[in-house]
Order: sequence, then structure tokens, then C-alpha cells
Amino acid sequence: MSETPSSHRPRFRSATEEPAPVRIGLIAFVVLVLAVLVLAPLGVIFSEAFAKGWAAAWKALQSKDLQSAIWLTLVVAAIAVPLNAVFGVAAAWLITKFDFRGKAVLITLIDLPFSVSPVVAGLCLVLMFGANTMVGGWLVAQGMPIVFAIPGIVMATMFVTFPFVARELIPVMIEQGRTEEEAALTLGASGWRTFLTVTLPNIRWALLYGVLLCNARAMGEFGAVAVVSGKIRGKTATMPLAIEMLYNEYLSVAAFSLAGLLTLLALVTLLLKSVLEIRYADQLAATRRH
Amino acid sequence: MRPFVRPSPMPGLSLSLGITLTMLSLVVLLPMAALLWQGASFGIGPMWDVIDRDRVWKALLLSFRVAFFAALFNLVFGVLLAWVLVRYDFPGRRLVDAAVDLPFALPTAVAGIALTALYAPNGLFGSWLKPYGIKIAYTEWGILIALIFVGLPFVTRTVQPVAEEIDREVEEASATLGASRFYTLCRVIAPMLAPAALTGFALALARAVGEYGSVIFIAGNIPMKTEIAPLLIVMQLEEFNYNGAAAIGIAMLAISFVLLLAINLLQIWSRRRIGHV
Amino acid sequence: MHIEIDEIAKSFGDTTALQPVSLAIPSGALVALLGPSGSGKTTLLRILGGLEYPTSGRVLFDGADSTGLSVQQRRAGFVFQSYALFRHMTVFENIAYGLKARPRKLRPPRAEIARRVAKLLDLIQLPGITDRYPTQLSGGQRQRVALARALAIEPRMLLLDEPFGALDAKVRKELRHGLREIHDATGLTTIFVTHDQDEAMELADLVVVMSMGRIEQVGRPQDIRERPATPFVREFITA
Ligand SMILES: Nc1ncnc2c1ncn2[C@@H]1O[C@H](COP(=O)(O)OP(=O)(O)OP(=O)(O)O)[C@@H](O)[C@H]1O
Ligand SMILES: [Mg+2]
Repeated sequence: MSETPSSHRPRFRSATEEPAPVRIGLIAFVVLVLAVLVLAPLGVIFSEAFAKGWAAAWKALQSKDLQSAIWLTLVVAAIAVPLNAVFGVAAAWLITKFDFRGKAVLITLIDLPFSVSPVVAGLCLVLMFGANTMVGGWLVAQGMPIVFAIPGIVMATMFVTFPFVARELIPVMIEQGRTEEEAALTLGASGWRTFLTVTLPNIRWALLYGVLLCNARAMGEFGAVAVVSGKIRGKTATMPLAIEMLYNEYLSVAAFSLAGLLTLLALVTLLLKSVLEIRYADQLAATRRH
Repeated sequence: MRPFVRPSPMPGLSLSLGITLTMLSLVVLLPMAALLWQGASFGIGPMWDVIDRDRVWKALLLSFRVAFFAALFNLVFGVLLAWVLVRYDFPGRRLVDAAVDLPFALPTAVAGIALTALYAPNGLFGSWLKPYGIKIAYTEWGILIALIFVGLPFVTRTVQPVAEEIDREVEEASATLGASRFYTLCRVIAPMLAPAALTGFALALARAVGEYGSVIFIAGNIPMKTEIAPLLIVMQLEEFNYNGAAAIGIAMLAISFVLLLAINLLQIWSRRRIGHV
Repeated sequence: MHIEIDEIAKSFGDTTALQPVSLAIPSGALVALLGPSGSGKTTLLRILGGLEYPTSGRVLFDGADSTGLSVQQRRAGFVFQSYALFRHMTVFENIAYGLKARPRKLRPPRAEIARRVAKLLDLIQLPGITDRYPTQLSGGQRQRVALARALAIEPRMLLLDEPFGALDAKVRKELRHGLREIHDATGLTTIFVTHDQDEAMELADLVVVMSMGRIEQVGRPQDIRERPATPFVREFITA
């Protein structure tokens, strides 16, 4: 008599779940919106790139200007990202290992580029280093122009990606505290040794995570770079700028082929990011909670 | 008086301080000072004359208005999305979770031409909507969609970790006290998510206000109609009108600053109300 | 309210939390569920409160099958081990929550809510803390607020999961008597979970000793002390 067949039971509702129709409806809604908003653009990039076949897309990418745009983008990222990584590590070390006045102000200043339009960022650099300014004029006279040249592009890229690495590292290093470093120091390790053997292994995945995001943004930055580069074809046109030029010239296949290349980069970034998040969840937990 | 730096056995103070301050100054602070300097030497009056033109006002208004609505959409949708990702299990959840970050990873110019290709009158979505007389690309709606796209991940990513840490027992307590699920969501869960959601909203808003790459393609850039403020700066620069560019740039910074300050105050207030965490 | 547990079993995937167990609790009793960690006490309590659904078996309240009754309909005052107070609400708002959450027709007017909250605060002997937030209370105060919050809905029974678990020894002793007094004042059928045998023996009318998802013995404290039914109970009591 004790076994009541479960089919006779009234439906039981969990106290911490929404009713099933609501759940299913919500899932369907967000998936649909994401499909329209995110997936559709992704699809259209490749369909436009291959609109005239694979060969046309491949051929478009072989153009000399595009090759130099790809090369320039790689060079810029190769300079800007490591510099920002160094800055990020130094800033995170400073902020998490020392107590000093004005720390909150410093953190606010580091985050500042997030609330400045990339175009305004580019404008700032032009006003600082443009050929008609004091500093810029002097640099041009030394044969080292910044604006309308690669250094300007690097600086614009650094400006917009400035907080990326530091922001990922700070919460992780706060969580880890100072005890391990202190222990190493009491054991007689030098400062560098402590950093390399104690701190770095603890933060390496968070660092990689930050570098990954920084790199994605660096290779894709448009507004700031557009302002400072001068868009000289084959010289100061990065991949995103080349996309704009091709698009405005109605060279759709070429524009979307190049866009497809950057999209692949974005997808690889997302993949690596997911892998890091799953594999090193505990070490990145602080970053995600931030 | 408190010492400027509390003495510490940690090494590397001067090195890390040196690197941090040098790079911060060189990359961010000095260039921004140059902007303010340009504005100051141009003068408040002349700057106001630059801004106080119909075309500039319309552009500024457009930028902030559409950015606000895009961030508002992202606020609501982002909270829903975060909730679905944290609480519901469904096939492909991981994939959806990863897809949320695509707007962060995808270059804005790429997003711009892709959205334009979709919503242009001859595009996939555009041609569906055309028979109903709905135009998206080259109108304010197009700008809205681009700004929703670029701001999509912010709210979700700030709310997600908070939602993960909600104590189930608190929800259960609400249910044992007789509250319906809807009441629990509104009165117990929403207040807990609010501060994080506001942070995400502020980030999405800041991003949307300054956004350039994804917008200029889909906006059509019709003067007085779909011209965003950053575009005006670019146009002034192309004419080598540095003073004009600086004036608009400073105006944008000032408005953003006021907005973010307001959001911060709202957040302090909501944390105080919800606070005690 | 008379509670009857009829062959209730519960498993979570592969782990069996409760073997089929049966138990009758007379109306108005103060019952302790006593047992070591993992013995299924919380699971049983949660099934009574409607927070968990049994894999098989029935729960009867005053003779009526209430197994499928939703949490909201059960009107069981539940006190969680962590108290689960709403951190963004003041003490007043916490206690008034259950009344305010009622549908409009059944919701008491504001003044009535305020009156009841004040009465409950008197009952738990904490008048004058209405405007504080949970984080501004001591552990013992929080526990009592959680109790008042559960009582505010005029529950049909009171279920407490390790109500004193998070408190230090001295406060524990004090609050024990508080619970007894509240039980006697309200006359509610009260079930509390504990793994502290002194607490169970001193406080309860009826002690239910559990181990590994089974009920080892049910009886008055002195019966259990004097006539342990199984070797497990003997060992657990003398330990
Ligand atoms: N939600 C759940 N999912 C899986 N297993 C669970 C769940 N809840 C409880 N269990 C398991 O059921 C068994 C009984 O758990 P229960 O929480 O009822 O024990 P308890 O007697 O309350 O112990 P404690 O004194 O430690 O609180 C344990 O083995 C536990 O691991
Ligand atoms: Mg338990």
C-alpha cells in the first residue's frame, strides 16, 4: 500500500525554479534573440565572402595592399599587446602588493579608457603628437612622426586596450594575497625570483586570459586607429581600416573576405577563452566575479 | 599623517610604480591633457559656438539617446540572459554562453558591415521587412541595433557571477513564507542583481556612446538625421579643424562624465538600499 | 497539526538519502530529529516543508494526503540553518514579508501587519530592532528574527534545521529555552533537526534517532536513554 504510483501524484513544483513553460519560453526567447543579433551577422560575413566562390575570396586576399594590412595589424598587435601586458602586470603588482594613498584614483585612471570614445582617444593623440603640435612637430623634425604613422597606431591601440590585462590580474592577485610572496622572501628569494617562481605561476592563466582579450581588441580596433592612421593604403591601413576602404569602394567580396579572416580570429579567441574558463575555472574565478 | 606608501617588505615598488605611472601618463593622461589644453586655449566661448549648432546638437542628442535605449535593452535582455545561463540547463548552453562574448571579440568594423549587409534593403532581414515599409539600415533603428550588438555582453557578464552566488535557501525561504515564484523574483532576486546590472548598464552605455566602427556603416550618416557625434569629430579632423574636433570631443567627455556620475550615485544608493551584503 | 510520514523514501540520483521511513507526530509535539551528519535529517525536514519531493511515499497532514502540496500552500514555518534572511530588507521587512506576499484579498492592512510584527518582536524578546539590517545583528538575534519571520505567516507547523547550529555554546543554551517557550506559547507542532543529543534530550517531547537514511528509534528522551533499541542508538547516546 505504500507505493503510490507516481502518475497519480499531482505535479510538484520546485521552490527555486520557474514553471516549465516559463523556462522553455525564456530559453527560446534568448536563443532566438541571440541568433538574430549575433549568429546572423556571423553567417552573413561568410556568405558574402564566398558569394562569388572560394577562389574569388582567396584571390582578393592575395592583393598586395591587403597583405600589407594583415602584416601591419600583426605588427601593431605584436608591439601593443606585450607592452600592455607589462603594464598590466606592473600595475596589478603595485596595486595589490602595496598600500598607498590614491590607490582608488589610480584604479579609476587605469579604467578611464573604457569610458572614452575611441574616436576621442584618437583625437587626443592627434592633439598631442600631430605634426602641428609642439611635441609632434619636434618628433617629425627628428624623423619620427607619430600621427599618420605606425607609432600612432600602436599608441591608439594601447589607449583603447589599456585596462584589459590589469583588470583581469587585479582581482586574481587580491584573492591570492601576499602570504606566498612573503614566505618566499623570508626564505631568502630575491624579488625577481619571487615574482618568477611564486607570483607568475599563480597568475599565468589570468594573464593569458587578459592578453587574449587585449589582443582581440587590438587587432580589431577601428575608431581610434582610423583617426590617427591617415589611412594610407598599403602603409598605415590596418585590417579593419582596409575593410572600410574596400567596403566603401563596393569591393564586397574583398571586404568580407578580410572580415572573415578577422572573424576567424574572433572565433579562435572565444574558443581559447572558453577552454581557459573551463580548464582553469578556479584560477579565473576571481576575474569573473570581479 | 599617514605615510604616502605604507612600508612593506615587498620588492619592486619603484619599478612597478615607475612602469605604471610612465605608461599611464604617456598613453592616456598626457594625450587627454592635450585635448583639454587644446580646448582651454581655444576658449570656452568659441567652443560653445562650435557645439551650439543644430547639426552638432542633433548628433550629440542622437548619440546619447540611442546609446541609452540600446543600453536599456541590454539591461533587460542581459539580466534575462544571465538568468537563463546560470539557472537553466539546456542543450547548447555552453555554446550560447560562449556566443555572448562574440561582440567583444568581433572587430567593430566587421560587425558594422555584417549588420549593414543584413539590414540593408536588399539584405536578408532588410528584404523581409521592406514589404512592411520598415527600414532599419540608414535609420536610427540601424544605429540602435549596432549599439545593442556592441553592448550585449556587459550586463550579462556582470550579472552572471552574482546570480551564481545567490543562496538557494533565500529563495526557498521566500517560498515557504508563501510568496509566489514571481513575487520572489521581483522582491528577493531582482534587488540582489540590481547593483551588478547597473554596473553592466553603465559599461554598456559608455561603450555605446563612444562607439564608432559598427555604427558608421549602418547609420548612412545623413546630416541632422543619422550622424553620430564621434563621426562629427572625424569630419572636423579631416578638415584639420582641431579646435572644432576638440570642442565636440570635450562635450562628449563632459556628458559621459555626468552620466556615469549619475549612474554611480544611483549605484551607491542601490547598494546602500540593497547593501549590507 | 498531526503529521504522518508514510513510507517516505528519497534518493538523489545514486545516493539514497532516505530509505522508506514512517513516523507519526502527534499534534502539538516538539520533536527532535537526531542523528549524525548525512543521516537524512535535513532531507526529511525538507520533504515535510515541501522543498523536496519524495521518491516514494506520502505525507499526511491531519489525515489528508499532502504529498503534492506546493511549498506555498503548506504554510510550514521553516527556519534554515543559515537563517536565509533577506539581506536587503530590514528586520521589519523580513518579518512582514510573508504577510505582504499574500494575494491582495488575503493581505492584512498595513497597520495590522505592523501590529503583528511588533507582537512577534516581543515574543522573540527583541523589540526595537525593526530598522536594522540582518548584517547588523548578532548570530543569536538573526536566528530569532528568522524564527519570527517563520511565525508571521501563522504556520501550521514549525520546521527548524539545526536552529542553533551556527551559535556558540552559551547562546545555544539560552535560545533552547526560548524555542521551548515559543513552542508552548503557540502550541505548534514543531520539528527541529540537531546532531547534538543534549539539545534533543533536553528540549524535545519526542526524539527521532536517524542513521544512514533510516529511523533507528522513536521515543521520549528517557526511553531512548534507558532502552536504546539498536546498537547504533546505544553507541550514539553514550558517545
Ligand atoms: N540535493 C542533493 N543532491 C544529492 N545528494 C544529496 C542532496 N541533499 C542531500 N543529499 C545526500 O543525502 C544524504 C542525506 O543528506 P541530509 O542533508 O539529509 O543529511 P543530514 O542528516 O541533514 O546531515 P547534516 O547533519 O550534515 O546536515 C547525504 O548523503 C547527502 O549527501
Ligand atoms: Mg542537514
